[in-house]
Amino acid sequence: MAVAISRQIQNGGTYIIGTGLPLIGAALAKNTHAAEARFIFESGIFESEPEEVPTSVSDLRICRKASVLWPQYRYVGFSALYAKRGVITAGFLGGAQIDPYGNLNATSIGDYRSPRTRFTGSGGANGIATHCDTVIVMKHEKRRFVERLDYVTSSGWVDGEDGRARAGLNPSKGPQAVVTDLGIMRFGADRRMYLAEYSCGASPSDVIANTGFEIDVSAAVESKPPTEEELNVLKSICRP
Amino acid sequence: MTVREAVERFVHDGDSVAIGGFVTNRRPYGLVYEIIRQKRRGLYIEGGPSGGDIDMLIGAGCVAALMVSYIANSGFSMVCNRFRNAVESDGDISGSIMFEDYSLDVQTLALHGAALGLSYIPVKNMIGSDMLAKWGISEEERAKHPKLPPKKYVMAKDPFDPESELCLVPTPRIDVALLHVQQASADGICRIDGSEFQDVDIAVASRHTIVSCEELVDSEQLKAEPERNTITGLCVDAVVHMPRGAHPSQCFGRYDYDSRFFVEYDKASRTKQGFEKFMAEKVFAAGTHSEYLKIWEQNTVQRS
Repeated sequence: MAVAISRQIQNGGTYIIGTGLPLIGAALAKNTHAAEARFIFESGIFESEPEEVPTSVSDLRICRKASVLWPQYRYVGFSALYAKRGVITAGFLGGAQIDPYGNLNATSIGDYRSPRTRFTGSGGANGIATHCDTVIVMKHEKRRFVERLDYVTSSGWVDGEDGRARAGLNPSKGPQAVVTDLGIMRFGADRRMYLAEYSCGASPSDVIANTGFEIDVSAAVESKPPTEEELNVLKSICRP
Repeated sequence: MTVREAVERFVHDGDSVAIGGFVTNRRPYGLVYEIIRQKRRGLYIEGGPSGGDIDMLIGAGCVAALMVSYIANSGFSMVCNRFRNAVESDGDISGSIMFEDYSLDVQTLALHGAALGLSYIPVKNMIGSDMLAKWGISEEERAKHPKLPPKKYVMAKDPFDPESELCLVPTPRIDVALLHVQQASADGICRIDGSEFQDVDIAVASRHTIVSCEELVDSEQLKAEPERNTITGLCVDAVVHMPRGAHPSQCFGRYDYDSRFFVEYDKASRTKQGFEKFMAEKVFAAGTHSEYLKIWEQNTVQRS
């Protein structure tokens, strides 16, 4: 998955990164094909080069070689303005549930006021989903890929082609890809998720079996296996 | 001032409180411990990037309502456990707090707006999400709490662009801010090294600000390099000298977080009993912050 995430990052692009797998994918990209990629964090820490894997977007490990340690409100203004200007290539998001249009739940399962399971809540995700193109990183499970979310924390394409415009959101931004352990999903002209690539060792039928809604797999191809270089760099990043 | 005096004078039952730092970075744990020690009740907490400190306030029964966008000890507790137990239907302190969800960006801008003296902020955030459709605290319930704005938000057309819908969010009115900084003078000048996060906004917006500091320094010394200072003493009511006052969180240029603390806290805080035992033995068994640090000292890996 780290390799698949890394491959979503273009050399010279600027990305908003959360912690966890996206950060490892980002470090892998920077040390392989995307040395010129820039990463920014919702804590206001910009363009840094962490040496150890940080535990949060405010971890001091993220300050290493940063360009600025801005107050948070600067990040908020920057992410809104510079997404519109095309400077921010994409933001990485995660969640507990995703629907066919890339809307995400990171808040709770069950009744909102008295849920069965409660998560952290939006964090910076809602802001990223409001203003930026996004790449979503999830574990591919039926209980996570659902027809209807229990709670919409971050809007994707809302309910289809004109969904974002009707909701009052910028219609030219939205989810570009969903990266999972089983493959990479993208969104068609109807803004519905389809399978674009399946991981080595997985198959389109694995994706269908682990997706809780109908998903088109007819255009899917197998992902290229991780290269030796990718695996070596990954090992050095994740060294204990 | 001693931490006891500062909290006695400036934190009252039913106050609205904002807390500086970010998740596991420069959180004023020492001040929070004192609030728990003095058993403050019915606090309204402006969460933002919340960490275990706010989780402890919830567990200790200090909190009436939490305005939340995130609460975790990232890397250790993916969601804080006392918060989960207060919110989830089968939690062991279920229903003990009210909560309202926001986007972190909105809370950041709302605090900034409050520091600018504005009554609300117009944003695009939360539009299309359930943060607008589902309210944690209803209008009827809000009417019973003068510290809460009467509505979570109001939708309005942008007066300068009728095509554009905006979400107007009231800015919080904060009674007391809690901050931990690297250096401060007795008259309240503060110097924050590294990211300020939203600390300056919190200090300006709040009626009262309590600061704990690593080093208490002469104000003439701070004023010799004014370009490095972050907060004027005019915004600060109490300065408490408290080395390692952010422990177990990090403090830029001084110390790393205490991983062992967060690991133990994660385990202990899963149950009400475990939490109470942990707080009694690992925090309050010590009478002062420096004695508390001794409990953890031998196991803390120091980095800077």
